[in-house]
Amino acid sequence: MAADVKGTGRVARPAADDAAARALGLSTGWTVFSYLIAGMAAYGLIGWGIGKAVHAAWLFPVGMMVGLAVSVGYIIYRYGRQGSLEPPDAGQGRVKGNDR
Amino acid sequence: MIGDVRVVADAAGGCHLFSGCGFPAPGLQNFSFKPLFSVGSFHFTKPMLIAVLCTVLVIAFFWAAFRKPKLVPRGVQNLGELGILAVRDQILRPALGRKGDVYLPFLVSLFFYIFLMNLMELIPVFEFPSMSRIGFVVPLAAMVYILYLYLGFKNQGAWGYVSNMWPRGVPWPIYIILIPVELLRFFIIQPFTLGIRLFANMFAGHLLLAIFIAATWYLASFTIGLLFAAGSAVMVLFVFLLELLVDLLQAFIFTTLTATYIASSLEAQH
Repeated sequence: MAADVKGTGRVARPAADDAAARALGLSTGWTVFSYLIAGMAAYGLIGWGIGKAVHAAWLFPVGMMVGLAVSVGYIIYRYGRQGSLEPPDAGQGRVKGNDR
Repeated sequence: MIGDVRVVADAAGGCHLFSGCGFPAPGLQNFSFKPLFSVGSFHFTKPMLIAVLCTVLVIAFFWAAFRKPKLVPRGVQNLGELGILAVRDQILRPALGRKGDVYLPFLVSLFFYIFLMNLMELIPVFEFPSMSRIGFVVPLAAMVYILYLYLGFKNQGAWGYVSNMWPRGVPWPIYIILIPVELLRFFIIQPFTLGIRLFANMFAGHLLLAIFIAATWYLASFTIGLLFAAGSAVMVLFVFLLELLVDLLQAFIFTTLTATYIASSLEAQH
């Protein structure tokens, strides 16, 4: 797949791989952003609901902070590992068994 | 651009620096239009006209290109093939591979429709990106949302589709913590960000362009303001070129994300 044709030390990647990496990167970037918003919104909503029931308005911002922490932790778990954004030959981001 | 200048000039009413009137700042009024015609309570406005025109143009272009396709493409067929291959190789194949070719007509239509709608902000006479009105973006995002949900349920089954969202190999208490985040992300935030991104970019871009055009008009007078007007005019040119890039980029991002969402519906991802 990769070849150092000119012996420059740089490994040339086919254009299709670059496009796949770009699509995966774009998708991952927006998924990560969605997790951040979703974490804050979900736990903020839970905090607001409980706060409303027990008359503790401060549970809303606390819920948002907890949600943010959960999102960041999950993002690190899911995408923080080395190579997690490498475009696979077949699989992640593409339908299994595809032959480009 | 000329039309925008005319609109700004009308709004400013000959208002210039040191003439005793304030800066006619563009705002939400730049996104509201008087009806071109009305049928009862239905008002047909300029953004609607642009949307209809873009639909007709995309259909007409591809119809003209592939009405009588030749083995060796010529003229407009060349251009059509170039466009289709660009979408296929840069958007569809990287996300879906060869099996995704069945979605090529959908993605090509989506890309060129959005691109043309965005491009309308830079074309004289039209000078308005209809995508800067949220009402034009929501149906597109909803269409993509319904499509990938349908494909997900169809290919993985209702339970399979939902359960495939969770990461594998984590303790069960973590699932309970992640359930609200994953559900909200997948069913609400993901389609929301898909639409809002396009809307916000087009809204901001059009406003930025209008501000610099208004500033150029307002500052243009036989005073030191002329110098600033020249600077503002350069910014108009810069933002114009920037918007050309943004128009293309936003169409590309929307279509690429649509392709990756379809891919995640066709096959489980962890």
